[in-house]
Amino acid sequence: MSAIVEFLVRLAVWLLLAPLLPGLINKVKAWVAGRRGPPVLQLYYDLARLWRKGVVLSTLASPGFVVGPAVAWVAVLGAALLLPLGPLGISLSFRGDVILLVYLLALARFCTTWAALETGSAFEGMGAAREVSYAVLTEAAVITAVLALSLRSGSVELGTMLASSAGTGSVLLAAGLFTVLLAENCRVPFDDPNTHLELTMIHEVMVLDHSGPPLAVVLHGAAMKLLLFAVLLVEAVLPFGEWSGLGGAVALIGGVALVGVGVGLVESWLARYAFKRVPLLLTTAFLLCLFALLVAWKGGWS
Amino acid sequence: MAAMAAGSWVLVTGGVWDWQSPVRIGGEALHLRLDALSALFLVLVAVLGGAGALYAWEYWSDAGHPVSAPRGRFWWSALLLSMGLVLLSSNGLHFLIAWELFALAGFFLITLDSRNPEVRGAGWLYLAASHAGTLMLFAFFALLAARTGSWELGPMRDQAGLGSLFWLALLGFGVKAGLFPLHIWLPSAHANAPSHVSAILSGVAIKLGIYGIVRFSGWLPVPVAAGWLVAVLGVVSAVLGVVFALGQHELKRLLAYHSVENIGIILIGVGFAMVAAARDHAAWGVLALAGGLLHVWNHGLFKSLLFLGAGSVVHATGTREMSRLGGLWRAMPWTASMFALGAVAISGLPPLNGFVSEWLVYLGLFDAVHDPGATLWAAIPAIVLLAMTGALALACFVKVCGVVFLGAPRSEGAVQAHECGRWMRAPMLALALGCAGIGLAPMAFWPALRSTVGAWHGAWASAPAPQSLGTLGMIHLALVLSAVGGGIWLWRQISRGGLVRGLTWDCGYAAPTARMQYTAGSFAGIITEWFAWILQPVRRAARPEGTFPGHARIEEHTPETVLERVVEPVARLVIRGSGMVRRLQNGRAQAYLFYLILGLAAVAAMTLAWSEPELLHGGGE
Repeated sequence: MSAIVEFLVRLAVWLLLAPLLPGLINKVKAWVAGRRGPPVLQLYYDLARLWRKGVVLSTLASPGFVVGPAVAWVAVLGAALLLPLGPLGISLSFRGDVILLVYLLALARFCTTWAALETGSAFEGMGAAREVSYAVLTEAAVITAVLALSLRSGSVELGTMLASSAGTGSVLLAAGLFTVLLAENCRVPFDDPNTHLELTMIHEVMVLDHSGPPLAVVLHGAAMKLLLFAVLLVEAVLPFGEWSGLGGAVALIGGVALVGVGVGLVESWLARYAFKRVPLLLTTAFLLCLFALLVAWKGGWS
Repeated sequence: MAAMAAGSWVLVTGGVWDWQSPVRIGGEALHLRLDALSALFLVLVAVLGGAGALYAWEYWSDAGHPVSAPRGRFWWSALLLSMGLVLLSSNGLHFLIAWELFALAGFFLITLDSRNPEVRGAGWLYLAASHAGTLMLFAFFALLAARTGSWELGPMRDQAGLGSLFWLALLGFGVKAGLFPLHIWLPSAHANAPSHVSAILSGVAIKLGIYGIVRFSGWLPVPVAAGWLVAVLGVVSAVLGVVFALGQHELKRLLAYHSVENIGIILIGVGFAMVAAARDHAAWGVLALAGGLLHVWNHGLFKSLLFLGAGSVVHATGTREMSRLGGLWRAMPWTASMFALGAVAISGLPPLNGFVSEWLVYLGLFDAVHDPGATLWAAIPAIVLLAMTGALALACFVKVCGVVFLGAPRSEGAVQAHECGRWMRAPMLALALGCAGIGLAPMAFWPALRSTVGAWHGAWASAPAPQSLGTLGMIHLALVLSAVGGGIWLWRQISRGGLVRGLTWDCGYAAPTARMQYTAGSFAGIITEWFAWILQPVRRAARPEGTFPGHARIEEHTPETVLERVVEPVARLVIRGSGMVRRLQNGRAQAYLFYLILGLAAVAAMTLAWSEPELLHGGGE
């Protein structure tokens, strides 16, 4: 019984709290710019409104246009449920779950880009092409970070890998994972979630033709993915295995909030990079993770 | 069917079927032997052979090809039989005979449409490469027979002197498997063959190369360096195979390059298993080998599925050029959804079979990282590159699906497309079910893998199933169920809110045409730019210039870099050298007399120079 309750709590955290993080980021951006900004709960309002709306479907779109976002959303939720959640711990731990997590995110990418290509629009093709291309580099960075954590903990299970802190390499790993978070969630300096210029976007341009409930699913999935990367980053760096109960919860919430503030600040202070420079930045992220891996390998067994 | 039954029985029970016949062929008694390793491949031959034969019934029908259809059926049967014989024969000489038959049957199947010069060219290239490989195998088996004193094959790990022969086998079987620098014949042969032939070539024929490598790495006392080399070749093939695939604009050629990639993934598993066997690390060696061998099945299933799907597209539209396709899902919903399933599987995504085998290989590699020893430095780059291969394959298959099946039709042929008939759909459906089956119930296939691993390395025969494999299957099942549930829920919400069809949003532009869609080349452009150093793309562009630009065009083409930049120059050099040698043969009697005298003088000189008795009398042995 308690397992079911625990699972429901976990589900509720991911489903209900995820849209909070983009709200927080927007609030930070508004604060830096001296504006009042949209309310923190803005995304909830948007989602509720979109969910009730009708849909305009491109004449070219197949059923895959609707199935794609649904499957992507399920995949992201599945990946999120694999993560340990601070004091709640992990629900289902097995060897190799971390690889499943990485590949579930890839499945989500497949479905989003598939849906983007449904409409035959050049803009959405462009966005999808960028998404899958940059993902090659982020995938390398993510797997290197996973390797670093795995080498330190001597395990291929998320529960054990994320229990201890990343040790001396923490700073490197945090910087690398933070860059990956920005890239994977299409934030500045890789992409601008606010822009209205279709030519320069990645994520927003892929969902140009989505509307109504499918768009709500896309937006909610994106929020969950952002939260997922934030939680992953915080748990990779902090030793959650040593904290339990309230302390762990506070640390997790504080850490995720800190990541949100960080994203907001980066977005306020940096401009979007030219696309030519994006691979360079992603390679830097990969190198940061690689150095974290070397630290985990050759020394710093604190 | 019989092969299927026998193969499954051996796989499940782990037994060995041994049959010696008094019949002698070429002076050697016929000796057939079926162990779990042969059975693994035999089952694949049976499944894909059956599926392809059904498919050909409609695809290469008697009505459409009155001459070549019966011929195709004959060579198809010959191919299946000879492949079975390769897998069963336990005698080096018979192995070679079967191997040669198999190569020839493959040649005649590739050139079924022999009136097309491109097809003939591809056939010749296949034949030449195949024979170069067979030459190595001749040397390999002959040396093996000379050193062991018999043509009989079997475990000979205890004879330390045989280890170095493995290099020859690797080269010979590597050509057939399509390892990266040796893959030159593969793209054009797969692209130009009829699609059911491409399916069996890619699904099984190149796997026989893998069979050879796995078989003889298990029987011979291979040096550790060979394991490393196989793993490195695997990584190189995986990454470069997918990169070359991204550069292709032709549907079947692209799929052919993905075969190179998947052979690479298989060999990563096999190579690391060889290292593990040499160092006696059972734990991760089993995982890596099981992953590699499961990938043999998986790749056979989904690659055949994709080739059959591509065949339906070619059948319906008459073109393999992706830039002439598009929007086919409307006319061919069955083909489109099967192809999509195959695409998800080959990209190694959960919940299908491709992910299960890649996951096993990953687990093996991760354990190699944790193992104290010198494997860490190799396992880390292998993992990172395997992950990048996965992301690249995903990019490539999103491109294929998007350009071929989604959007608007780009040519008249694509508009006129029609769904394929029942006989073409049924084999695709069967293969798709296979892909889903291995993905959703991986535990059911572990006993087969365990007996195969045991047949390769006796000490690993009792390896327990990784517990998490069952969990993975359950998660896959949950994923499918919740995806179906989520999809239905979303669809109900949409139908409640109302649905309007409208034009695709193109920044307010009201009359988009099919030519404005993103093309395959532009989709892969970012990545092919990164890998231009190896792809060496050929570009011809007329840029728009001036205030009122006139006609502008851009054309990009990725050549067969290895073939055109490496093999062909070397071949030209050889031909020039041979041409010079040919001048000796000038037809003048005086010249021949001169050669005779010269030869005699040389022999005389040699006899005088080394007049040891054993050299004079030793020749007749």
